[in-house]
Amino acid sequence: MEPNRKKRHSMTAGIGVLAVLCVIGLMDARGLADDPSGEPTLISLRFLPEGAALWGSGAAQRFMVLGAYSDGLERDVTDQTWFILSDLEKASIDAAGRLTARADGELELTAEVGKVTAKARVTIEGSDEQPPFSFARVIGGILTKRGCNAADCHGGVKGKNGFKLSLNAVHPREDHKWIVEGGEFQVLSDEASGPKTPRIDPEQAEQSLILLKATGEAAHGGGRRFETGSSDYQTILEWVASGAPYGAESGEEPVVIDGIEILPRESVLGPDGRQQLLVTARLSNGRREDMTDQVTYKSNNKEVARVNADGVVEPVKPGETAIMVRAAGHAASARIGVIAQTLANYPEVEGYNVIDEHVFGKLRKFNIVPSQLCTDAEFVRRVCLDVTGTLPPGHRVREFLDDPDPDKRNKLIGVLLASPEYVDYWTYRFADLFRVSNYGQSGSKYAAMYWQWIRNSVAENKPYDQIAMERIAAQGFDGPSRHYYHIGGELPKPPNEMAEQVRVFLGRRLDCAQCHNHPYEAWSQDQFWGLSAFYGDLTRLGHLGIDMVIIDDPAGHGEVGAGQQVIHPRTKQVVLPTFPNGRALSAAERVDLRGHFARWVTEHPYFAEALVNRIWSIFFGRGLVEPVDDFRSTNPPSHPELMALLAEEFKTSGYDLKHLMRLIVQSKTYQLSGLPNDTNREDEMNYSWHRPRPLDAEVLFDAICQVTDVYGEFGGAHNQRRAVNLVAPDLHPLRFLEVYGQSDRMVVPERKNEANLDQALHMLAGSTYNEKLGRDGGRLDRLLEGETSDREIINAFYMVAYARLPGPDETGVLEAMIAERADRKEALEDMVWAMMTSREFAHNN
Amino acid sequence: MNEPDTMTESTCRNCNTPELKRRDFLRVGSLSLFGIGMGQFLAVQRALAAAGIGDATDRAKAQSCILLWLQGGPSHVDLWDPKANSNFRPISTNVDGIRISELLPRVAKHMDKLAVIRSMHTEEIDHPEAIHYAMTGHRQNPAMQFPALGSILSRELGERAGIPPYVIAPQIDLKLYQDHFGAQFIGAEYEPFIAPDPSAEDFQLPDLSLPKSVSVERVEQRRAFRDLIEKAYRQKREIAEFGKMDIFTAKALEMILSDAVKDAFDLSQETEKTRERYGKHGIGQSALLARRLVEAGSRFVTAAGYRGVNPWDSHAQNDSEHRDKLAPPLDQALSTLLEDLQERGLLESTVVIAMGEFGRTPHINPDNGRDHWPHCWSMVIGGGGLRGGQVIGASDERGAYVAERMVTMGDLFATIYKAMGIDWEKTYMTPIGRPIKLANSIDDKTGAPLEELV
Repeated sequence: MEPNRKKRHSMTAGIGVLAVLCVIGLMDARGLADDPSGEPTLISLRFLPEGAALWGSGAAQRFMVLGAYSDGLERDVTDQTWFILSDLEKASIDAAGRLTARADGELELTAEVGKVTAKARVTIEGSDEQPPFSFARVIGGILTKRGCNAADCHGGVKGKNGFKLSLNAVHPREDHKWIVEGGEFQVLSDEASGPKTPRIDPEQAEQSLILLKATGEAAHGGGRRFETGSSDYQTILEWVASGAPYGAESGEEPVVIDGIEILPRESVLGPDGRQQLLVTARLSNGRREDMTDQVTYKSNNKEVARVNADGVVEPVKPGETAIMVRAAGHAASARIGVIAQTLANYPEVEGYNVIDEHVFGKLRKFNIVPSQLCTDAEFVRRVCLDVTGTLPPGHRVREFLDDPDPDKRNKLIGVLLASPEYVDYWTYRFADLFRVSNYGQSGSKYAAMYWQWIRNSVAENKPYDQIAMERIAAQGFDGPSRHYYHIGGELPKPPNEMAEQVRVFLGRRLDCAQCHNHPYEAWSQDQFWGLSAFYGDLTRLGHLGIDMVIIDDPAGHGEVGAGQQVIHPRTKQVVLPTFPNGRALSAAERVDLRGHFARWVTEHPYFAEALVNRIWSIFFGRGLVEPVDDFRSTNPPSHPELMALLAEEFKTSGYDLKHLMRLIVQSKTYQLSGLPNDTNREDEMNYSWHRPRPLDAEVLFDAICQVTDVYGEFGGAHNQRRAVNLVAPDLHPLRFLEVYGQSDRMVVPERKNEANLDQALHMLAGSTYNEKLGRDGGRLDRLLEGETSDREIINAFYMVAYARLPGPDETGVLEAMIAERADRKEALEDMVWAMMTSREFAHNN
Repeated sequence: MNEPDTMTESTCRNCNTPELKRRDFLRVGSLSLFGIGMGQFLAVQRALAAAGIGDATDRAKAQSCILLWLQGGPSHVDLWDPKANSNFRPISTNVDGIRISELLPRVAKHMDKLAVIRSMHTEEIDHPEAIHYAMTGHRQNPAMQFPALGSILSRELGERAGIPPYVIAPQIDLKLYQDHFGAQFIGAEYEPFIAPDPSAEDFQLPDLSLPKSVSVERVEQRRAFRDLIEKAYRQKREIAEFGKMDIFTAKALEMILSDAVKDAFDLSQETEKTRERYGKHGIGQSALLARRLVEAGSRFVTAAGYRGVNPWDSHAQNDSEHRDKLAPPLDQALSTLLEDLQERGLLESTVVIAMGEFGRTPHINPDNGRDHWPHCWSMVIGGGGLRGGQVIGASDERGAYVAERMVTMGDLFATIYKAMGIDWEKTYMTPIGRPIKLANSIDDKTGAPLEELV
């Protein structure tokens, strides 16, 4: 890049900036919405990264300069910037902001756009030292940058044409083996098939298959990946010629990448914006290194934004997408928003707590205005359904609406969190997640024990880490241990059980790694089986027909399970309990294996995140990560900082579920109206308006019972008449629940709550929507007995079903429709039917 | 939508069949509501197929498939592959050289319509896994769930005449097993329509008839109330679910108000004689229902009339179970089904299969039972243009292992697909981009159609 160009830019920008600076002097910061010309003006600059510590011969760091403008956007102004170094002996910098180290020392870097400046400190060390070779970094880096190990090439589950590489070089040892030893990869076996012909030739390095294929000299389905003689070619050639080392042979630890970071993590572009991404590696020696030129970039949604091979993002159309960055062994993402235009008068939006700070902060950047706060009537129905799974009774709605206390929403939240219905509802939620059923626990007695443990845990608001500990490590004959006691006394299989617990408590789906390394993540098959082995001592004591005890017994005295040795399907070797970082339990540690596993789970940073996301999705109908238990680097959260913050908050509160829920329902974000405005109608993932959520089968059924005041499907005592209180749903099959997607709890539930044909049939002809309407003793029947007017009846049903009164124009029409019918009761029944089958009723909105 | 003219003046070059387009026949199919019967529809379609018009599906002979599902695993040496280690005698059939067990005397008279595969080899040895394998062709996998054959056929062939394309009657007894018969990632619209037990006295589809107190007029009045009550809520929001629910409601109302679906499921329209001919037991009545359904338009019907969890699972008293309880209803239902389909001209367009999830051990256990045996077992398949009257593959002397021509579940699936004009080498993509073979054989291979059959 020529310096001339950069100078031209800075000159033109400079004039504008000067003018603005004068204005700034006269106005306070808030008044700075627009300058008189209508063009947004530059307010301040900042460097990304804020500073750098370079190490090693030829070390380089790219700097980016971001300018904050008067319209609230931050723009990449690197190509308009003058870069000034305090010491030209120690480093050089080009127009694109790429600083290269020359000699050890410290220096200051200044960016100048017009009169606006910013500064960064740079330290340089080891400028005459070469870092030790690492196959994982150097060769893995090339294979990643050139796309050789992408999912649709050799990085796929089966590899390509017999040659298998791990995706993103996440398993460099294996990649090294397949390159150096050769052989055809087979998915389900550790053995190579076919002749083992090495893909390198140290004697005649340039004849190595890996080079001939990559340069297109030999026929290659993937075409030419780099030119003969290019720097990547030379690097591989020299590596082969030097005997193709892995990099740890000398005993010296190779420097590996611990993680990568992208700057900026979030950026919003106008129609003509552009954004350079910077990628920095955190190295195992504690240093950091610029990797911007050594990674691949991919836009998750090319219809929103494109990214080129240099990491420059350009907008396509308004929306939001993640840009995925892959480096050897690692992946990360940045969020890019594209907006049509900036809003001239973005309103002042006030938050209530930290949730709002993040959600509203992001909305501001994205130029989306949140909807108004919901009305008290909307709030009371919404929060009652969300916290207690129950519609508010009509008289409580009136009380709440009439209460003049400005803090009445928080007061109501407090009441609901302490209510018996809270216990009912969250017992049901966790009974679903933890899978309580007659089939699952081999009988209603054990299902009830397990369920009662959940209920007690919810009632006493037991810390969630303790709940997880108890469920995973359960021993003996108690509630949580029944989870391990399946029908016929079967014990769960170690890999299935491990994968389920990880999915439930850590929000990760490891199952792919049961048969092969995870195709998209850094989970290896070895890690999968190492974790499974923590279930290797699971044992059942006793005989069928009597109460059996669950223990971890390494000696295998139990009748079933008896030291179920966990065998690696590929190596056919017994696997020892091993944590994902490779540490196996020592012989002395190998008691109470599930206790070790439970501690690993509950102490893992994922633990709090996973629960926060699960609870969040219940209150908003969408997780910060979606699907709710599919955290992946390729599936980043919509609000990463908020996720981290809530997880930390949850942890420091002592894993207090009620604390987390209170935080959520007190936020303004939760209390937004369900009516979108012109700026947020299209918003799917930023919580700018309250999206209606279909009620789950049990809650909807209970709501219908509550409105009609007709119960009786489940028999039994008063507290068992609600569907949410069913201990073992498989003992109470009910068509309504089935067609509305009740979980059978055979696997970790994933409710879809989609409309379907059976629901439509049931609404028209089914018992739930026909037999309850005017039943003797029900709400309608009693109101008719009491000589109540049509209007009063209409109002009563509206209050209990919708927590509101009908609109003024609705009442008259309804009255007329009822009056014109010969049979008043039939007419009213039909009105109640219409309410029960309406979307407004079936939604929490 | 712009519909082209339903029938043009011109005629096909090589025949006298009016040149019709496939779409027109779909339309004729839906006209069955208004009096054009399925028989006529099929006759026209056959004429069309002969003329070589339409896509592969139209040219294929087979339009639908009936599976007599024998869950639990029938003993192959006691039924289809008679051996010295069975206590039942072999009998001759109406095809020279083919002998089957004396437990199936009536089926023996229809051997010309069936092929016996005696070299089935599958990979799962316990019920849940094996049922999953038989329905999907895939080994169970915790990372994902596979779509069942019936759902795939629904998707590939589509609905006819408003009749549910994929039906199971009655529901599989254990919910855990029932899940293996579903559509999974390919879409809720391909889930099976599950009917109650057709042999029950009060057999009737749930929610398909309005309660007596609710007239059609009243349904309209109810909808008028709802239109009013919902109006404000819907006007202010644009939610995809609204549209979906409206479509389902219209469809539901059509099903309730028209007679096509109700008639298809109404066994009382059959004569008592026919009902008795099939046998008034679970498998007999579910086979009869299956015939009614394919006649009306279904694509894949699983007649799962043997009730209880794994009814064919004869770990104890194998011989008396097979002789007294299990084989006679199968003999009656299968032979009648083949006769009946033939009489109605439906056999050529309907593939008929009878099988379980595996076979049973060649040896007898201490409880006089036989245990699970997936290594080599037998099943029968016929109709749908497949060549009957033959034996495919062979087991060894005791029926323990495959001696000749191993046949996998993937080969069986591929055969059915080919008979129906579906590309058996096709794959579906899962939401995370994993390709799933429609006909999955062992060792990650694709199944191949049995050339002897199709």
